[in-house]
Amino acid sequence: MPPFLLSAALDRRFEAAVFDWDGTAVPDRRADAGRVRTLVEALCAWGFDVAIVSGTHLGNVDAQLGARPAGPGHLYLCLNRGSEVFAVGPTGPQLIERRTATDAEEAALTAAAALVVGRLRARGLDVALVAERLNRRKIDLIPAQVWADPPKARIAELLAAVEERLSASGFSGLAEVAEVVRVAALEAGVPDPRVTSDVKHIELGLTDKSDSARWLFAELRRRGLAASAVLLGGDEFGAIGGVPGSDSLLLVPEGAAATALSVGVEPNGTPKGVVALGGGPDAFAGILEDQVRRRETGELPSFDPDSEWTLAVHGLDHHLERVHETLLTLADGRIGTSGAPLLAHRASNPRVLAGGIYEDEGAESHLLEAPAWAQVAGSLEHPGGLRRVLDLRSGLLFEELNGPDGRELQSVRFSSVARPGSVALRVEGAEAGLVDSRSLLPPSRHRRWRRGRVDGCDWLQVRAAHGGVTAATANTSHGDAERRRLDRLGVYLLDADSVPRPAEAVAQLHVVQEAGFERLLTEQRTTWGERWEHADVQIDGAAELQRAIRFALFQLMASVADSGETALGARGLTGPGYRGHVFWDTDVFVLPFLAATRPEAARSLLEYRIRRLPAARTEARALGRAGARFPWESARTGRDATPAHATTRSGELIPIRTGDQEEHIVADVAWAAACYLDWTGDEAFRRGPALALFVETARYWASRIRLDRNGRGHIDGVIGPDEYHEQIDDNAFTNVMARWNLRHAAEAVAVEGSGSVSAAEGERWLELADALVDGYDPTSGIYEQFSGFFELEPLVIEELAPRPVAAELLLGGERLQAAQVVKQADVLMLHHLAPGEVAPDSLRPNLLYYEPRTAHASSLSSGIHASLFARAGMLEKALAALELTSRIDLDDLTQTTAAGLHLATMGSLWQALAFGFAGLRPEGSCLRVDPQLPDRWHALELDVCFRGAHVTVRADGRNLTLTADSPVSFLVGDRKRPLTATPSGLRLKRRGHSWIEVKTP
Amino acid sequence: MNKVLAALDNSAAARPVLVSAAALARLLGAEVEAVHIREDGHQTAEAAARAAGLPLRLTAGPVVQTLQAAGQNPDVIALALGVRALSAGRRPAGHVALQLAVTLPKPLLVVPPQATPTTTLKRVLVPLDAEPATAAALAETLELAGRHQLEVVVLHVHNHASIPPFTEQPQHELAAWGEEFLRRHCPNPDLVRLEVRVGIPGQHVLGVAEEMRADMIALGWAQELDEGHAAVIREALEHSSIPLLLIPVPR
Repeated sequence: MPPFLLSAALDRRFEAAVFDWDGTAVPDRRADAGRVRTLVEALCAWGFDVAIVSGTHLGNVDAQLGARPAGPGHLYLCLNRGSEVFAVGPTGPQLIERRTATDAEEAALTAAAALVVGRLRARGLDVALVAERLNRRKIDLIPAQVWADPPKARIAELLAAVEERLSASGFSGLAEVAEVVRVAALEAGVPDPRVTSDVKHIELGLTDKSDSARWLFAELRRRGLAASAVLLGGDEFGAIGGVPGSDSLLLVPEGAAATALSVGVEPNGTPKGVVALGGGPDAFAGILEDQVRRRETGELPSFDPDSEWTLAVHGLDHHLERVHETLLTLADGRIGTSGAPLLAHRASNPRVLAGGIYEDEGAESHLLEAPAWAQVAGSLEHPGGLRRVLDLRSGLLFEELNGPDGRELQSVRFSSVARPGSVALRVEGAEAGLVDSRSLLPPSRHRRWRRGRVDGCDWLQVRAAHGGVTAATANTSHGDAERRRLDRLGVYLLDADSVPRPAEAVAQLHVVQEAGFERLLTEQRTTWGERWEHADVQIDGAAELQRAIRFALFQLMASVADSGETALGARGLTGPGYRGHVFWDTDVFVLPFLAATRPEAARSLLEYRIRRLPAARTEARALGRAGARFPWESARTGRDATPAHATTRSGELIPIRTGDQEEHIVADVAWAAACYLDWTGDEAFRRGPALALFVETARYWASRIRLDRNGRGHIDGVIGPDEYHEQIDDNAFTNVMARWNLRHAAEAVAVEGSGSVSAAEGERWLELADALVDGYDPTSGIYEQFSGFFELEPLVIEELAPRPVAAELLLGGERLQAAQVVKQADVLMLHHLAPGEVAPDSLRPNLLYYEPRTAHASSLSSGIHASLFARAGMLEKALAALELTSRIDLDDLTQTTAAGLHLATMGSLWQALAFGFAGLRPEGSCLRVDPQLPDRWHALELDVCFRGAHVTVRADGRNLTLTADSPVSFLVGDRKRPLTATPSGLRLKRRGHSWIEVKTP
Repeated sequence: MNKVLAALDNSAAARPVLVSAAALARLLGAEVEAVHIREDGHQTAEAAARAAGLPLRLTAGPVVQTLQAAGQNPDVIALALGVRALSAGRRPAGHVALQLAVTLPKPLLVVPPQATPTTTLKRVLVPLDAEPATAAALAETLELAGRHQLEVVVLHVHNHASIPPFTEQPQHELAAWGEEFLRRHCPNPDLVRLEVRVGIPGQHVLGVAEEMRADMIALGWAQELDEGHAAVIREALEHSSIPLLLIPVPR
């Protein structure tokens, strides 16, 4: 066993290495670095990231290393003591980051160096200013020929010689000299002087290795790697001569979870937590060789134990297993795979769903179940030792089985978000099933399938009435009876029109095989890293809530593809619930998150509606209306797929009227398009498909509105978001959304022009919009939810039962229809979706009136109320509603999570954080921000994309920092004039109710 | 061979008890043994056994203790007896039935005197609360679904104390909830049918049994008849006109 494996911390697979050059990777700058070069290139070829950190410049390191890795792993050179970063590819190094000193900083450095030299010489110490390096000055403390270029191995002798010289001049040691430098730097105007020493030199700079380390950990995070996956190597972690070792600067807080290792002599020991291995560059090369070997033998990656980034399920609970499998779903926007264990168990339900492929038509249509790919032969007899961990950072599902019967199995699997439709599984253990494993299981409830084997690949084809799914997988197994390893790669081809041919799937599988498991893994991490970079929400001071938020965002991001169309049902790809039908959940609850974080995914949701515009026109025509009427439930064709009847929990067969009456969906679709435009400013979409959507939906409303004798507009016979009341007239939500729709379309036509819309038609839309009644009473400030609502039985559900509560079961449907009990936000949904369309200052009175009358029996309710409570400054209520929202699936509060996750609830969770607590909303070409944080939170940080810029909003109790990678205009709080955020950040402080800009030098 | 022990008293219940015991035994692959404890004559019991083609074992002793002892026999998998002597009786069940019900650690088939049991069980109603222990106790009964063309209907009643917090689109949510309910509580979810009601469980149990024309109701219970316990069992014992299979839930 190599000596380093005696340290348990090193006996594992890492995914990246960050290490010092001189003394760690090579003994000195003249040494042959061929061995390191070979290792670096090999590791990069396996997808491993390498970063070399050095005080010297590119010429020195690159000339000595000479590595030209082809990837997929990256090689970074972080040089000039934290001032430069180069990425090295096949063609050589490319500068990607450089800290450029201002003239004032340069002058300050020069002045400081002169001061230091003067002060040292004044005390009799003969020193020399040897170089003016990038952003630093270097002073030789022992300019004797014999110590011209001392190797690291002679560090102890060098230290003795330098200390002897310093002592002769009355200095107590290196630390005192360093203090002289620091003081001089401050006097000369260097605000944050970085003083370092390699014993021979003392250096003053604007940057040091800690800058390199911080940049690297941020970069690795962008590539989907947690700090725990990083090996940090150096040879000078311990203090030398009273000065902290140069490599100790790599120990930054962002990398606290990394494994730090010293191969140096370390005469004064190493800081706590650093593995002191010794052995110099030879030992370090051995460690890199070990990492290569672990990949050659197919070792499984380790998972990040950070609880804020993982969801772990221990054991197998018979009752909750399907819930857990749903929570552990891996989706890639095309297929969704449940987190069923590798081995069969009667409580388990391995399931793969194919997005957008429906079996049957109309109300009976449902998502097609595809073959399952993530199981191996054998059954799970003793699930007590089972543990599954979903890594939210990179979309990997780890599974371990340490059974009491001695069975051991470890695995990792993922559904590739970089190559949607591609899957990968690696399993290690002694199971016989790892060799004799049929890799595709037919769907449990679908009979029309066939399978075959071609070219060493299994394929299985599932046929729907229109189109179908064909999957192909290939197994590679290694090892002996004691330890086997199975790699399984697979592809799924989906087609809504014709079932893909097996040969196509096998050909696609060969492409994936060519890439191999490790490359797919690297791509997976990188893609997830990029997604999180633009979508993360961080709350300091609420760890469990943080994990729940990440879980929700993870599943939202996983459910939607980046191209084509996404038919996102209410449960996405996580379960068969709601038959995969598409509701307003997608347009109003899910889409805003994606519009603000991954516009291409939001666009694919809109594409689903755009392609069904002809069907919506047909629906409208069939009802004698103009324009387009989108259906309440939609599947393959875009025709209404709402069932006509249902049996309730009371055992009654009741008619389902949402398909006929819940028409606000028409305006909701248009609203979604506008929301996407607000965040993205996508001009091509604005002029093309969006315009068509606005026009056709406005035409529908224009033909739907009834004008009375007084010229007032009405919409009769509808159901609002509160579905307890049917066949109602003038539902405030429907009317105001229709009004918004008409006005928005008229404005869009006026701006963009539309040949099909005459000026008279546009005028007519505006007249109708103005004529529509909305139930607002200016005296009370309250909107009447629908005509006659205030005359209903005045029940306050808050006083009748703990909420949320299914009030229809408590009171019965008939009584509810006649009572002032609301299922979910209805009037208040207007204040959430269209605050510009409701009366100013009407939020609070309506919130105080309607919320106590709301049962919150829909999982869509609490998130919206959390947002509105936050906007109204009722932060404790907001927090309670937010926490409930965050637990709906994690705690299976609906007892239906086994049938799929409530994606709309998850979308509302993000909206509550962004729109509610952060007060973040597009307003024209600006972003409005007005954070309101509960006392229990230390800070809230959101990443979003606005008009192509990556924006970070960070707020704590009194401070607000807005950062954008390209200039973005912000309207902050109640300020009327915009402020511009840039990469260097815009800082504001709260003074009373206002935000004051903090100017930094 | 496994036996269903049919305890015949000398009353009008003797015949329905024998028929019900035979129907249950057929389903369970067991045989029926008829037994009568001499008290005040045995001609009615004897006639019933003769009509069923079964020998009648006559024995003597305190009725409850003797039947408890007989029921302990490992071969005996269930015991059947009449719930009370007369259908007009005011008590929910006779003292023998009640004492056996709370003490016998095996399924007890109680047959009301007005029952007109069928020789073949075609439909069985199995009320389930959401307690895993109840479901475990009833698992064997639920597993009978499909055997001998037996239809098993599971009934869950939301009472006012267990109204769920959420109900969404009725056209979808009950299917999702129901499927998972059966997966959690039934060993063979695909072979049983679920009925859901809202209200007082005892009333709905009998109502649904009548609606579906059930031949038997199988109920899990903790064998506690004190005030505040077993409301469904009490209601069923008092008003059911079809046999009840009472299955002890381990405490």
